[in-house]
Amino acid sequence: MTEQTVNTRTISDGARPFEVVAILVKRSMMRVRRMPSAFIPSLVMPVFQLIAFSGAFGFAVTSLGIKNALDWYVPLNAMQGASFGALGVSFGLINDMQTGFFDRILMAPTPRWVTVVSSLAAAVVRCVVPITFVVIVGYIGGMNTPGGFMAIVCVAIASIAIAVVAAGFALGLTFRMRNLGAATLTQFAIFFTIFLSTSQVPLSAMSGWLRGVARINPMTNILRFARQGFLGDVTWEQSWGGIIAMAVLLILTFIFAMTGIKKFDQ
Amino acid sequence: MSVSIADPKMMASSSSTRSLLRHTFVLTRRSVIGRLRQPAVLAPAFIFPLFFAALGSASFNRLASDPYFTANIATSFLNYAVAGAVLQGVLFGSTSAAGDLATDIEQGFFERLLASPISRTAIVLGRLAASMVVAVVQVVIFMAIFLVAGARIESGPIGFIGLIGGGALLALAMSAMMAGLAIKSGSPEVVQGAFPLVFVLMFLSSAFFPRHYMKGWYRTVADWNPLSHIVEGMQGFMNHELSASQFAKSWLIPFVLAIIGIAFALRALNNRLAAS
Repeated sequence: MTEQTVNTRTISDGARPFEVVAILVKRSMMRVRRMPSAFIPSLVMPVFQLIAFSGAFGFAVTSLGIKNALDWYVPLNAMQGASFGALGVSFGLINDMQTGFFDRILMAPTPRWVTVVSSLAAAVVRCVVPITFVVIVGYIGGMNTPGGFMAIVCVAIASIAIAVVAAGFALGLTFRMRNLGAATLTQFAIFFTIFLSTSQVPLSAMSGWLRGVARINPMTNILRFARQGFLGDVTWEQSWGGIIAMAVLLILTFIFAMTGIKKFDQ
Repeated sequence: MSVSIADPKMMASSSSTRSLLRHTFVLTRRSVIGRLRQPAVLAPAFIFPLFFAALGSASFNRLASDPYFTANIATSFLNYAVAGAVLQGVLFGSTSAAGDLATDIEQGFFERLLASPISRTAIVLGRLAASMVVAVVQVVIFMAIFLVAGARIESGPIGFIGLIGGGALLALAMSAMMAGLAIKSGSPEVVQGAFPLVFVLMFLSSAFFPRHYMKGWYRTVADWNPLSHIVEGMQGFMNHELSASQFAKSWLIPFVLAIIGIAFALRALNNRLAAS
C-alpha cells in the first residue's frame, strides 16, 4: 500500500518547491470551504464598514470636494477586507500547530521558505474574494473611477500587498507566540495602522496629533496609491511613495516571518 | 464566595427581600471582582472608544467651522465625540459581562449556583448590577480623560450625573438583553456572535457623526435607531444647558429597554430551570 502511494520522483529529487506551495494553498482554501463561518466575517465586515463609513462620514469627505464618499472609502475597505481575510492563514497555522500537522510539514524535505511562501500565497488567494466583493458593492453604489481600469489595478495591487504584509506579520508572531494571541495582536496592529493614516479624511482636513502621525505612517502613501484612480488619473507622482512603502513592508514582514520560523525550529 | 452562600443566616431567609438584596450584592461583588481580574477582556471597552473619540476629533474637527454644527450640535468635535465614546464603552463592556455569564453556564458554575439556596433572581440581578457598577467606573474614567483633553460639560455637575446615570441605565439594558441571550444559549460564542449586531446598530446611529449630515436611507435608519436618541441625550448634557429632554432620551429610553431586557432574561432563566 505504502509503495503504491509514495511518489518515487519526490523521494529521489526532493519535492519541487512551487508544487508544495500550490498544494498547501489548495489545502488552505479547502479550510475556507469547510469552515465558511470563519471566512464570512472577513467578507461581510468590509462591506458593512464601506456602507457605514460612507453613510456616516460621507459629508466629511464630500465637503472637501470628493464627488462620492464611496470613491474615498472603497479602496480603504478593500484593503481592510484583504488584510482581515489574510489573517485566516494565522488561524490555520495555529490549528496546524495544535493538531501536530505543522510538525509534519517541518519534517518534509522542503526548504523553510516554502512553508512561509505557501502561507503568503494562500493569503493572496483568500483576499481576492473580499476585494472583489467591496469593489462590486462600490460600483452598485455609484462610485467613480476617473482613472479607468488602472483604478481597479491600483486598488488590487495595494490590497494584495497589505494582505501579504498582514499575513507575514501574523506568521512571524504566530511562530513566536504559538497561540491565538498572535492573530489578535495582528488584528490590532492592522487596525491601528490603517486608522492612524488618511483612512477617514485627507491630510489637509486633519488637525493636531493625527496629522503628524498620518504623515509618517506608510499606510498613508499606500492609500494614496490605491485611491488615485478613484479621485483622478493614475500618475507616477501619486504612485511612487506607495510602491516604496509596499516594497519595504513586504521585505520587512517576510524577514520577520522567516526569522520566526527559524526560532520555531530552534 | 462559597462561604457567603453557605452562610446559615442567608439560607434561613432565602425567600425574603433582604436575602435577595444580600445575594445580589454578593454576586455583584463576585462579578465585579471577576471582571477586574480580566483586564485583557475589559481593556477593549476602554481603548477602542477613547481611540475612536481621539481619531474623530482629529479627523472631523473641521466640522466645528460649520455654523449649524456650532449653533445646534457641539462647540467642538471632541465635545461631540464624548457621548459616542461613553455609549461604545458601555456596550462593549456589557457584552463581555454577558459573555462571562455564558462562560459560567458552560463551565458549570451556574448549575452550582442553582443548586445552592440562593435567590434565582439574584443570579441575574447580580450580573446586571455588576455591569452598572463597571459602567459607572468607566464613565467616570472617560470623563476624567476627556476633561483633561479639553472637553467641557455645558450642563454642569448635574449633567455629569446625567451622563453617569445614562451610562449605568444603558449598561443595565444592554447587559439584561445579552444576559437573556447568554442564559438561553449557554454559549459565550453566541453572545460574542451577537456583538456585531450591536456594532452595526452603533454605526447606524449618531454615535460617531451627527444625523443632520447623513442622507438617504442611512439617515432614515439613524432616525429610527433608539441608540441615536440615547446618545443625543448624552450629547445634550455635554453641549447644551440642562433640559428635561436630555434625561428623557438618555435615561427613559434605556430604562424601558432595561425592563424589556430583564423580563427577557428572567424568562430565559425560568425556561432553563424548567428544562433542567
